[in-house]
Amino acid sequence: MTFMLRGRVAFVVKAALLALISAVLLMLTQSAFGQGQYAIAFFLAVAIILLNFTYFNKRTVPLKFFIPGILLLTAFVVTPILYTLVMSTFTYKTGNYISKEQAISRIQALAIEPDENGSAFDIVVGTYQGQSAILVSDVLNSSYFISTQNDRIPLDVATLNTDENGVAQGASDFVATASEDISGSEAAKLRFKFRDEYFISVESLNVGVVYRQSLEYFPNVDQFKSLIGNAVYVDNGNGNYVNTNDSADKLEPGWRDPAWFSNYLRLFQDEQVRSPLISVFIWTVVFASLTVLTQFSFGLLLALALNKPIRGRRIYRSILVLPYAMPSIMSILIWGGMFNTEFGAINEIIGSQIAWFQDATFARAAVILVNLWLGFPYFYLVCSGSLQAIPSELMEAAAIDGANPRQIFRKITLPLLLQILSPLLIASFAFNFNNFNLIYLLTGGGPKAQLDGEIAGATDILISYTYQIAFGTNIQDLGLASAISVIIFVIVAAISLYGVKKSKVLESFS
Amino acid sequence: MKKRLSMGFAATAALALTAGLLTPAQAATTVVVWADESRGPNLVKTLKDKADWVDGVEIEIKSFSGFDALKTAIDAATATSGPDIVVGANDWVPTLAKNGKLAPLTLTATQRAGFSASQFYDLTYKKKLYGVPVDVNNVAMIYNTKLVTSAPKTFADMVDYYKANKASKSLKAGLCVAGGGMSWGAHSIASALGADAYYFNPDGRINKSKVFNPNTLGENVKKYLLDAKKSNGFLPASDTGCKDNFLAGTVPFAIIGNWEWTDYTAKGFTMNLMPVPGVVSGQSGNAFGSVSGALLTTFAATRGREAAAKSVLTDFFGSAAGQVAYQKYEKRPPAHKGAASSASVTDGQKGFGASAAAASVPQIGAILNGSGKSYWDSLPAYWTAVLVDGKDPVAEAKKLATIYRNNLRAAVNDI
Repeated sequence: MTFMLRGRVAFVVKAALLALISAVLLMLTQSAFGQGQYAIAFFLAVAIILLNFTYFNKRTVPLKFFIPGILLLTAFVVTPILYTLVMSTFTYKTGNYISKEQAISRIQALAIEPDENGSAFDIVVGTYQGQSAILVSDVLNSSYFISTQNDRIPLDVATLNTDENGVAQGASDFVATASEDISGSEAAKLRFKFRDEYFISVESLNVGVVYRQSLEYFPNVDQFKSLIGNAVYVDNGNGNYVNTNDSADKLEPGWRDPAWFSNYLRLFQDEQVRSPLISVFIWTVVFASLTVLTQFSFGLLLALALNKPIRGRRIYRSILVLPYAMPSIMSILIWGGMFNTEFGAINEIIGSQIAWFQDATFARAAVILVNLWLGFPYFYLVCSGSLQAIPSELMEAAAIDGANPRQIFRKITLPLLLQILSPLLIASFAFNFNNFNLIYLLTGGGPKAQLDGEIAGATDILISYTYQIAFGTNIQDLGLASAISVIIFVIVAAISLYGVKKSKVLESFS
Repeated sequence: MKKRLSMGFAATAALALTAGLLTPAQAATTVVVWADESRGPNLVKTLKDKADWVDGVEIEIKSFSGFDALKTAIDAATATSGPDIVVGANDWVPTLAKNGKLAPLTLTATQRAGFSASQFYDLTYKKKLYGVPVDVNNVAMIYNTKLVTSAPKTFADMVDYYKANKASKSLKAGLCVAGGGMSWGAHSIASALGADAYYFNPDGRINKSKVFNPNTLGENVKKYLLDAKKSNGFLPASDTGCKDNFLAGTVPFAIIGNWEWTDYTAKGFTMNLMPVPGVVSGQSGNAFGSVSGALLTTFAATRGREAAAKSVLTDFFGSAAGQVAYQKYEKRPPAHKGAASSASVTDGQKGFGASAAAASVPQIGAILNGSGKSYWDSLPAYWTAVLVDGKDPVAEAKKLATIYRNNLRAAVNDI
């Protein structure tokens, strides 16, 4: 049997597995490189080298156990955190997505305008006396000519091959380019002479449109200047070229520009951001605390009730675990329907017309209630297990000493349970601090008085509020959302560290 | 040891290089089109029937699992991964154009003549056109003939019917929004009560200074939707359950979307489509008669396929023949006039097309998306404020009008 772990067979299996993994990673590297994702390509290339070096080298035995985890941790935990941290220092929002070089290129491409008539002609793309050229048919005016970059050569219609619509298909010394070759040809990118500042550009395979350039970029001074008026557009230091005489006149698109700590400063200085952030933070803490309290209390109550030998205990236990077994997304959506004001089951049963998701208090109550439903089976299970772990002698001794059941629970069972479960309670608090799914699917963060300008909803927690800033509206502010995410990360990391310390997990490594 | 190490590396390198060499190369004249889970497969079927829409150009369709997945993908697309054309919503245009993802195109006079001028509003940002209209997206009102014998002539007719029959016929609402939600779908109701999202001058251009009269909207809401400051139950503030209740016969009037009309005909309902009647006989509320667009991306130019992609837009997506062929499968009202009048277009498609022609406004994302508070969030908030929270309809209408005015002002340079 040892030949499977050592020797030639083991080596062949190892080599085959590594070759397969390396092949997949190399394909991904090539794809990432091809798409210009050089950082990802570099990481994948390093991963290939590290994997092969580690598993083909006898001196790196401990690393063999850690390297997959290290690579995955780097790719899926460390990198997103670093990326978020970096993005929080940029002006990164709708209109400021691309790099400055790309923005300049796009502005130049957009800075053309058709002539006053929107003139468009049937064209044939090809070459004329060795130069890229277009054969132009202005059928309405019975005018035909060949345009190169620098010349416009009038043609006599009698000398042309025309189709039934009067569109010229060929001329002397003009060689047409095949349709399948036009898009990639040089001619498709050129500007062909028309008149004055106007030129003809290949619009589609057989249509040319008359344009003129409206803006010109001067790289030495990093400015755009209007070729039609006097406007000058300069870099405003915030990711846009702005008219020097009118700050509202911006060229689009803008670019991602370093903003250093301005997104963080906005959290404290911008009233529109700060005010909702404070109320959202308070509700997030209340929500996470109440959730842990209610889930733990209810789970413990059931665990205590079913800790005694009663008839049908197994059936009750199975039923109580059902909400935990059901996908939470489905449960949340079903609860959402049940809370519907007009048609929901809850209002039907209690005979009311409560607008659960339109009133802040009711919406918050609904959120806590649904989360209780989703989370109590977990605490029921862990409390049941923990109750079994508490030595029964302690309770018996207390009873002999004259303690009543309530005193036994308060003085012995609960303190011992809290000692065992406190790391789980802290972990649950941290989880619910970021419980995006529940809020997003149940209330969408609402209700909020949109008409009064409220940005955050009554049930928005920090993470759903961040999502709303980043993706929830048409104006996405990813830089600001990243800054809030970094703060959430610091809070949750601090809570988690406290939990780890409390559970003394790390002491075993010391 | 060294021998083993080098053997291992050699095996790895051989397999890895083989994998690398197997990566397929892309044909130079293939135009890549991205579409959602409905349009993508239907475009594939269309192109299976006829592929040579543009001489020398192959059209490759990539379908996504849903509209949101498609939007996420186009937001994240790069020059190497992105499509040449994306078939998407018109309200994507301002954002994608701002982010440098879309490229403009210029249509010839003949090509433009195939569409109504208002349809280009939807796909235009800062006076540049970014795509061609593909199909009409609109809603219309349908009434249940088992409950209501004839079409209502005024808004009051519907309210009176509801009040008179609420108890006897166990009606759950009078009019509800089954398609398009309480902002897009409910525009026709707001419009019928006096509050369009924006107005047009007689020359067809946007009136850049006019917003609705909040007193008119507020008073109409009081008159038709409230009883003693509380909702009379005629119009629910949410669209949840509307479709099921209409199909179950407990709601007489519903706003339905043109993407789901077959669900209603399958249950035996006739397409007696009409605009929401106004408060005065002969008037009606305008619904958004917006278009989906086949949008040109900047990636086409980056890869040297721009001319081919533009030809696909004009010769396939924007042509009468192309739209007839495509709508045979997609079953929405085609945007092209020639396609809309084609004999092969079904009654349901024509019904919605006629409704759009009778009372519709273009959907202009640059205004509706807003400069902080969007139309999409504000109108549902108004319904909630007056129908659920019991707030004063006139005071809330004034807040709504202020938001509309601010959005209109902010968009002046973009339209």
